[in-house]
Amino acid sequence: MVVMAETIDDECLVRQFNQGDNSAFDGIVKKYSADIAVLANRLLGWPGDVEDVVQDVFLAVFVGLKKFRCECSLKSWLFTITINKCRTYRYKRMLRLKKFSKAADKMPRSHSRAADGQLMDSETFNRARHAVTALPAKYREPIVLRYLQQLSITESSRILGISENLLQVRLNRARKRLRRELAELLEE
Amino acid sequence: MTEDKIQNLLQKADETAGRPTPVSINLSTVRHRANHKRIVSVAVPIAAAAVILTTVGLWGLTARNVKTQQQQKIVSLQDQIRQLRARADATFNLVHEALENERKQQRLDELQAQLASIPDPIEEIREQVDKTAFNLVYQADRMYRELNLKRSAIQTYKRVIELFPETQWADVARQRLLEIKNSRYKKDSKGDLLWKPQNVHSSC
Repeated sequence: MVVMAETIDDECLVRQFNQGDNSAFDGIVKKYSADIAVLANRLLGWPGDVEDVVQDVFLAVFVGLKKFRCECSLKSWLFTITINKCRTYRYKRMLRLKKFSKAADKMPRSHSRAADGQLMDSETFNRARHAVTALPAKYREPIVLRYLQQLSITESSRILGISENLLQVRLNRARKRLRRELAELLEE
Repeated sequence: MTEDKIQNLLQKADETAGRPTPVSINLSTVRHRANHKRIVSVAVPIAAAAVILTTVGLWGLTARNVKTQQQQKIVSLQDQIRQLRARADATFNLVHEALENERKQQRLDELQAQLASIPDPIEEIREQVDKTAFNLVYQADRMYRELNLKRSAIQTYKRVIELFPETQWADVARQRLLEIKNSRYKKDSKGDLLWKPQNVHSSC
């Protein structure tokens, strides 16, 4: 019921924007900017500062909103744009910092457990985040959407533009990789 | 190890990472960014084109300068080649002329040697004349001495004097004629002559 109401609300905003009401765009920004920032933050490996990406997302929204036909929810559409922008951003960053990234990858990772025996301390979470960030995009994106954004399989597959089966396969493979990387932590 | 464990771990890791910095976006910001992107999307290709054109222009200018320098060098080299060719031609002509002179000189020497080897015809004629005169005198001596043909001998002596007056044999013939004339008066009873033909042979 809530979802239905949200969808109707989004359609209204889109219609208002298409009719020339600029405040509708501000409404969309206000409503979704936080979610988009969180998603971008997760997809980009928790850098904290994702303003550029979010601005790019809303710029794309501003340009493409007139073509939006409300066949899916506005949130899904925004998430799809966010994922695309994050891919572009990561690719550009990889090109720009290729050498630096190589050097960083070569740095030894600490696998030592915390001295105080606490199960999930900050170092553990760092390792978990690093493991997610190190996944290839095709595995990282399903993990983020499914486990962190807590979207359904259907919605995630729609956002990623792949079938549900393929999404399940990718999730399975991503889990295997994470298990391999974080086996020590998950056994505790 | 379940899916829930992984999800739990990742969610906690996400929570501990903190929230992203709040983003302040409004329509004017987006428009400003759109304008900026439009400018960049236009300006960057124009700048790149300008850089390429400038580079091409500079390159062309440099290439032209290089080409001009190369052409000047080629012209200079052609001049040098022409001068060298002229000098070589002059040297060749000089050598050719010297060889020709040498060849002429050699031919001249050969001709002179050949000429030197040829006997003097005047001298030869003189020798022939002398020989003929001697033969006539000798024949006349034999006619007078051995064959006793006095008249024929006198005619022959006279012929020698007439034909070869310059030779010594003309003098001999005159002397014989004188002796014959004298012998008519001083002839002894045995008929011996004062003149002896051996003298003639010894004088030849």
